Amino acid sequence: MSFMYPLGLLGLIGIPVLILIYIIKNKYTEQVVSSTYLWNLSEKFLKKRLPINKLVGIISLILQILAVLFISVAVSRPVFIIPDSANDYCFVLDCSGSMNMQENGRTRLEAAKSEIAEVIDESKKGSIYTLVAVGDSTEVVFEAVDSKERALLLLNGIEQAYTSNAFTDAVGVAQRYFNHNPSVKTYLFTDKTFEENRNVQVINVAKSQENYAVSSVGYAFGADGKLTVHGKVTSYESAAELTVKLHVVYDVSDGISGTAEYSQKVEVQKLEAVDFTFVCEQTGFRYFEASVSESDALALDNKVTVFNIEYENSYTALLVSDSPFYIYAALLSSGNARVEVISTEKFNADYSGYDLYIFDSYSPEALPRDGAVWFFNPKTSVAESGFTVQDEVELAAGRELNYTSSSSTFAKTLMRDIVKDKVYVAKYKKCGLYRNFTTVLSCDGNPMVFTGTNSYGNREVVFAFDLHFSNFPLLADYATLSGNLLGYTFPTVIENASYYCGETLLINVTANCDSIRVDSPLNKIVYLDTSAAVCEFTLNEVGAYKITMISGETERVFNVYSSLPEEERVPASKASAFSLQGEAGNKKLNGIYDDLLPFFIMLALLFAADWMVYCYEQYQLR
Amino acid sequence: MSGLPINEEFLQQVELLQTLIKNNVAGQFGGNHQSKSFGSSSEFADYRDYISGDDITKIDWNAYARFDKLYLKLYLDERQMHTRIYIDASRSMAYGKSKKDEQALKIAATLAYLAVNEMDKVSVYVIHGDRVEEVITAMLGKDAYVNSIGKLNEISFDGDSRISEAILPSTVGYGDGMSVIISDFLTDNNFEDAVNYLVGKKRDVFCIQILSEDELNPKARGKLHFFDCENSDKFYRKHIAKDIIHAYRQALEYATGRIRDLCHSRGAQYMLVSAHDTMQDIFFERLLNMGVLK
Repeated sequence: MSFMYPLGLLGLIGIPVLILIYIIKNKYTEQVVSSTYLWNLSEKFLKKRLPINKLVGIISLILQILAVLFISVAVSRPVFIIPDSANDYCFVLDCSGSMNMQENGRTRLEAAKSEIAEVIDESKKGSIYTLVAVGDSTEVVFEAVDSKERALLLLNGIEQAYTSNAFTDAVGVAQRYFNHNPSVKTYLFTDKTFEENRNVQVINVAKSQENYAVSSVGYAFGADGKLTVHGKVTSYESAAELTVKLHVVYDVSDGISGTAEYSQKVEVQKLEAVDFTFVCEQTGFRYFEASVSESDALALDNKVTVFNIEYENSYTALLVSDSPFYIYAALLSSGNARVEVISTEKFNADYSGYDLYIFDSYSPEALPRDGAVWFFNPKTSVAESGFTVQDEVELAAGRELNYTSSSSTFAKTLMRDIVKDKVYVAKYKKCGLYRNFTTVLSCDGNPMVFTGTNSYGNREVVFAFDLHFSNFPLLADYATLSGNLLGYTFPTVIENASYYCGETLLINVTANCDSIRVDSPLNKIVYLDTSAAVCEFTLNEVGAYKITMISGETERVFNVYSSLPEEERVPASKASAFSLQGEAGNKKLNGIYDDLLPFFIMLALLFAADWMVYCYEQYQLR
Repeated sequence: MSGLPINEEFLQQVELLQTLIKNNVAGQFGGNHQSKSFGSSSEFADYRDYISGDDITKIDWNAYARFDKLYLKLYLDERQMHTRIYIDASRSMAYGKSKKDEQALKIAATLAYLAVNEMDKVSVYVIHGDRVEEVITAMLGKDAYVNSIGKLNEISFDGDSRISEAILPSTVGYGDGMSVIISDFLTDNNFEDAVNYLVGKKRDVFCIQILSEDELNPKARGKLHFFDCENSDKFYRKHIAKDIIHAYRQALEYATGRIRDLCHSRGAQYMLVSAHDTMQDIFFERLLNMGVLK
């Protein structure tokens, strides 16, 4: 026997104190009475006491000592060791997407957690518990924990994963524990069937359940420009006639969206993926949802949302020009711009909230702070722009511009697909650069097309000549260079809008990006590190993620959808072996019995109450 | 006098008590009032002086004519009784807060009043050691009562008392009334002989045992060393617990039973009184039920 709080035994000091008090106070009190006749006469009637009754004088003391003894022992929490009665448990819990399947109102994961909790509850104190969760990755949730309460607490905190997982890592972890202690009782809680499970007790929580799934959803635009959506629908448990629905959200005009619904019946056989196709009236879309109407055990795979990646990467541009034709054509050719055109007279400082400001033959009084800026033939210098406008140079004959010969990666990116047609200008603005710009085209050493960032951190592109006094708009390189410069100004933030759970989303970080916020389908918010050019984020939930890129006062929102991996949709799929190599031992751990607190408190109270009753009876009442 | 047991207030209570008794019973104190040695009711026995309040039909007018003084003719069954009251004046009767002495004096005074009211003579004695001392002698009539009864307050309770040794040598009368012994009877000394002796003298014997509340229901517990107030050589030293108290109760029952049985076997009356009982309880309830008052 040992004690959890040995200091509690200090209470035993009370025993010698009680004895001392008893010795000091144990004196006969002298008293004169009118007559001792009856008292002495009572001796004749006093029954002969048994030897044990001679203790009557110290019964009170004995009861007090016992009360103090048991209170002290109770406080010090005695712990009894029961040899070979406890176990070393290792639980491997499958948290994969298929464990989301609902049966009798609760998911398989909840059922598995409940069964683990039951094993922990029923185990002897002194047992130790290890839990390995196999979800997005293999994670040792707790290791060699000897507290049931802590183990149960951590068990409750385990969350559902959605990704496909390989049990290889989990086998490795379990094998490590098994090597350390061959007597460890290893349990695997899963919904998969394992062909081999040596030294492992597999608890299969799966039951046969209907599950339908939509997968491989994609889209294309037909020759007539109409949207065509295609995909597959599968029934994993039995043949069925399923209703596949399509919900399309598209732009009617800038800022206004419309919706369209489509539906069709599909006959499917068990485990057979059947194609479906919707030919829509729309020629574009923001996003669409393809879903199966029938309810089943696993709702996560019944719907797939596809976001239009071009729409997600689109930007708004304000074109300030009195003759916008060439520039407008260049913007439209990029495909992602939603352009608003105003004349130079109308422009004022109230115009804000655009991703790109383009000033053609016009210089604003103040440089916009909330977006990228392009200048064509700037009239005057603009503060914070990084360059100054000096003289206008008029040439008697057109002068050929020189393409950059820089071998830098950035210059090569800007010059991608440029065939270097001869470009001539009749007049241009001589500009002085006081920030670090990259010149793409120049004339007699003067920068004609250059790009960089302004003082507000926004990207800036300058054409130092009037397109109307050049053959450049007529050349193929104009569109190509404009596209390259737009790509630099608005680098594609996300490359793809459709993923499977467990895949990594890559986000291109723009130069002026302050922060990137990710809102998950389960409303978890994560802020990503924007110090690198590309940041990564693993999609570990099923549903639509919202990525918000914040640049100063500008917010750009992107949506991507994460689908349940196809291998997680099978209700009771077969997996490879989960076996532990080696001979299992039978050595148990020492159990602990420390639930004596109520017992000792009860004993202490019993003796204290007995003492009080004794005193009450013997000294106070008849 | 108000601090004394027998005071005006007490006497008023006695008067009231007597009135109550008269209204409820025939008014005769002493069930054995008539002497057992005088059987006839018409045979002349004696003369005695007329006292105010006497029945004037019994005045011997011939004697008045001859002696110019009023005499009452007494017949055998109307012979005047002599009530003798013995009070145990040992120290144990007055020790501590028991108030047994006060109770004894009040009972004695009340009995005396009732007797006087019936035109009996009353004598009150105290027992000190082996002696009987007269306090009031042959008191007759209410005036004498009022004048004499205050002497009871002068009784000192001290020393011990040996009832038989005291009463046997004293004058106790013969067949002429009641002898009342008021004591706690908590003694090894002989009192049986006194009762037997008085019964032998054709006296109506009435033993009144007064015990304090502490003696009837002892509250003492724990380790105690008792000393006897009358004799410090007598002591009792015990850890008093439940079993001792049980034995004490048996001893109390034995001690009271001893005197009670003695009285009953001798045709005497016995009454156990608590020091805290009221006179109304004692006289109006107890004595009435016992038939001592009729």
